[in-house]
Amino acid sequence: MKHTASRLVYTVIVLFVSSVAVFYAIRLSGGDATAAALPGSATEEFREEFRDRLGLNEPIYQQYFTYMGRILSGDPGNSLTNNKALTTMLSEHGKNSLILGGTAFGLVFLVGVPLGIIASLRRNSWADQGIMSMSTVAMAVPNFWLALLAVWLFASRLGWLPSAGCCGPKHLILPAVVLAFEGIALTVRMTRSSMIESQNSDYVRTLRAGGLSEWRITCKHVLRNALIPIISLAGLRIGQIVGYALIVETIFGWPGLGQVLVNAVLRRDYPVAQFFSLVLVALVVVGNWVADTGYTIANPRLRKSS
Amino acid sequence: MSSVESRTGPEESVLSPKKTPVLEIEDLRISITSAGSSFEVVKGVSLTVCENEIVCLVGESGCGKSMTALSVMGLLPRGVARVTEGKIGYEGRDLLSLHSRELRRLRAESISMIFQDPITSLDPVFTIGSVLQEVVRSHRNVSRSEAKEIAVKALVQAELPDAADRLDSYPHQLSGGMRQRVMIALAIALDPRILIADEPTTALDVTVQAQILENLRERQREREMGMLLITHDLAVVASVADRVAVMYAGEIVEEAPVEELFADPQHPYTQGLLRALPDISISRASLYSIPGRVPSPQTPPPGCLFAPRCEHVLDSCWEGNPKLQREGNRSLRCFNPQPFEVH
Repeated sequence: MKHTASRLVYTVIVLFVSSVAVFYAIRLSGGDATAAALPGSATEEFREEFRDRLGLNEPIYQQYFTYMGRILSGDPGNSLTNNKALTTMLSEHGKNSLILGGTAFGLVFLVGVPLGIIASLRRNSWADQGIMSMSTVAMAVPNFWLALLAVWLFASRLGWLPSAGCCGPKHLILPAVVLAFEGIALTVRMTRSSMIESQNSDYVRTLRAGGLSEWRITCKHVLRNALIPIISLAGLRIGQIVGYALIVETIFGWPGLGQVLVNAVLRRDYPVAQFFSLVLVALVVVGNWVADTGYTIANPRLRKSS
Repeated sequence: MSSVESRTGPEESVLSPKKTPVLEIEDLRISITSAGSSFEVVKGVSLTVCENEIVCLVGESGCGKSMTALSVMGLLPRGVARVTEGKIGYEGRDLLSLHSRELRRLRAESISMIFQDPITSLDPVFTIGSVLQEVVRSHRNVSRSEAKEIAVKALVQAELPDAADRLDSYPHQLSGGMRQRVMIALAIALDPRILIADEPTTALDVTVQAQILENLRERQREREMGMLLITHDLAVVASVADRVAVMYAGEIVEEAPVEELFADPQHPYTQGLLRALPDISISRASLYSIPGRVPSPQTPPPGCLFAPRCEHVLDSCWEGNPKLQREGNRSLRCFNPQPFEVH
């Protein structure tokens, strides 16, 4: 518990630092906020007044605190382009993103771990070599290219699946698989090496000397030990999925947070870009904290110290 | 007995009188394959362990003593080391020809093993109680509470303090000495006939070493187990062994009852080992070490394997490896044995 609590404090610190970083980064990215909101014919006087009203002329740290205060009070403001409340956008698009990201995250482990286990148990067999070659290819393929390839094959040529859109199960398949692809490949490799390391460990030799069956040793002891490093890196997979979601959601026209964020940046819609960047950062940081808690539960060495 | 006595040939091991052999290793050869090349690390070892007897297998690291021990359990690292020749007799059966399932039944139940490093030898994610009970229940058809009883009893016998309260401890919550006691409990829980201990005290503090060793000997005596103790530590040998086999570069070079070996070591390697023992009665004496290095198993020297390091080497030593010759209750592999001089 102590470990979990200390990680929580750490998580809050990371959230604070990253919110500052995001806030400053967006200010430093240049461009003029009035360009998006006001027509090109607006006078410089009017623009200045508009900036004043938005608080853009205040010192930047003061802007930060005002802004964070508004976020914490539940009112992060509206979009500059269509005047929609950001909270409404979050709940609409956030749900879509959670469906896509959650599916991809599930695929990473539900596909990656079993394949890695098979490869480790049939080491150097054709199955192992096949799985390992596939995973090497999967890691090397850039996912935007994979997305285009998948659209070309399954949507254009075969016509099995829609090329874009939302939000039925059929629409979900292609983006989820593309999003999970690299994560699956990494998980396969990690599971395999982690299983092999555990199989060769001294404690497995002890259990063999105790006369336990190979099957029991593998399913209970080897697997349980091998999962620890995989769980510990689940946080990284969350970050990876969130990062790739920007590309994949845009290509597949999936109306999630990533797509909103990309559009906002292209349109210089500062409130949206800033708020959704913060949301994604928070998602990754909190996801890491959850993964870390899972790691603590899986690893008794961290659970309690006596 | 009769089957043992009828064996012929100079390589046969020495038997203590009036004891029943429980483990008979005959002409065991083990090869290691690494990076495509294969070489022999155990070169025809024969060794007998009798009931209620502690046999020490002594030698430097890499001499093949651990490989010999692991082969008895069928636990040689897979794909790396394998037995190429020989027999390991237990109750009239050859362990090397057993089906893996039959061998698995014998492990812990009839033949147990304790390993060198207690820190890495216990599964870190399960409590010691659950592993102990799992081992018990994989051999005996007993209820959970009976298995627990057996587990506690074994821990008490291994002298783990507060044994009953430790069942729910994880290995990381125990010290190295305590973990080795858990390993002992695992090994003796099912009352085996043979106990193999591979450097059981090497990784422990000196004070703990003596306690563990004493505990092992007590359990061995009260159960009349045959025990094969593998060590490089002659102090350990002197304190517990009944009989000693000295191993060098994959071969047994000398075998004798413990008192005779220390009083009158005959092989120059054994003599070197005894001479290398630091003597605290002589202050500031320079430490003796056997000159040279152990020959690489890939490129063994011609003739006697110890010839390159031997003080009494003869021309004939380079021509052929001497056979292990038995004389009374001792065996020796040397062309030119010399009386032992301490310094």
